[in-house]
Amino acid sequence: MITTPERPSDNPRYAEYVLGALDSAERAEIEREIESNPTAAAAVAWWQGQLTTLAEDIPAVTPPAYVIARIESELGFASPLLHTPLARTNPTRLGWWNNLPLWRWLGIGASVVAAACLALLVINPQRAALSPPTQNEAASYMVATLSRDNGVASWTATMDLQRSRILIVPASPEAMASAHSPELWLITPGQQPISIGVIVANKPTTLNLSPALLAKLSAKALLAVSVEPRGGSPTGLPTGPVIAKGNLSGA
Amino acid sequence: MTVIVEAEREQLTHLLRSVAAGDQQAFGELYRRTSSRLFGICVRMLRDRTEAEDMLQEVFTTVWRRAASFDPAKASANTWLVTLTRNKVIDRLRQHREEPTDQVFEIEDDALTPAADAECSQERARLQQCIEALEPQQKSALRAAFFSGATYNQLAARCNVPLGTMKSWIRRSLIRLRMCLEQ
Repeated sequence: MITTPERPSDNPRYAEYVLGALDSAERAEIEREIESNPTAAAAVAWWQGQLTTLAEDIPAVTPPAYVIARIESELGFASPLLHTPLARTNPTRLGWWNNLPLWRWLGIGASVVAAACLALLVINPQRAALSPPTQNEAASYMVATLSRDNGVASWTATMDLQRSRILIVPASPEAMASAHSPELWLITPGQQPISIGVIVANKPTTLNLSPALLAKLSAKALLAVSVEPRGGSPTGLPTGPVIAKGNLSGA
Repeated sequence: MTVIVEAEREQLTHLLRSVAAGDQQAFGELYRRTSSRLFGICVRMLRDRTEAEDMLQEVFTTVWRRAASFDPAKASANTWLVTLTRNKVIDRLRQHREEPTDQVFEIEDDALTPAADAECSQERARLQQCIEALEPQQKSALRAAFFSGATYNQLAARCNVPLGTMKSWIRRSLIRLRMCLEQ
């Protein structure tokens, strides 16, 4: 009887791993195998070389400019990695949201001045945006400066109504124990606070705004940050002290 | 086409090795060239813009820290980057979404069409030939698995077929693919 020697790629698990169909326990098992067994590593590498070409079918999407600004900040790079804004191609639509120098400058450790300035930029987009402003653009953002009781700004929040998201930028670094997370709330008159989400104390955070939340944004509403157990309030309502708050205003 | 693809490939390899040596400008250039493709993968698989942005940040900080482990003898720069991205995305999907979701999901994935001949690599064209030879169900199950990063359990639930059926569709398609690709 003739038997063919088993080739590494014969084991379907390696292909299934590369395809992404295994659960976490099975993935961990294969990853351990790759570390210790060159045959397994070779089989996985072979499948990666083949299957990853499928990713060429996925349309490219230009990331917003603040992503590179965050990466620079996280890696502690002193000089900018990119010299020109990424969004030159379509300035009308992207506006200041994709203004890389702005994000880089606001970036981390920005001061209260930055907070005030962002509000100004949004109110007067022609100062900063790459394109002339339109009424629509101006009307599609709301801003808030979240201040402590002593009046010092802790965060600025900018809501992009068209894209249903909110960006929170720390204005002055807020010390927070690792057992705690700051959580952002929307408070409207006569109603219970609604959680917008957990934010990062010392980095810009972007959160999505659900249609229900979007509908409640108005000049009568407040944004507030409370100190919650790590990961966010377990109850769905604020459980810790409110450390900063501010009114929304149209931009 | 091939010349351009080859040149692009060499440049990426060179950039990634410079990044491994700590060259920040090379890192910026690598980002400029590859971030939109890798972000496309994140958006596609996570189906959430904000999560995809966080993911892209994690991918590139990892690229910076782990570029030294890139070995051009073992994988192309593109394969290395796409693999790193998909692995991170799949880890994230497993953390948050191990349970089958109620999300309606068409196995006839996914509105994606194979990249046009002019744009795609030779390897992609070869893979496509082999994929075209699969039975329709096997083909779409394979594509759905790749583009969603979903587990067998999730794929079976979303397509409303028994787990064994889903496994056998995908396994058979992988075995036939391998035979075809090794010819």
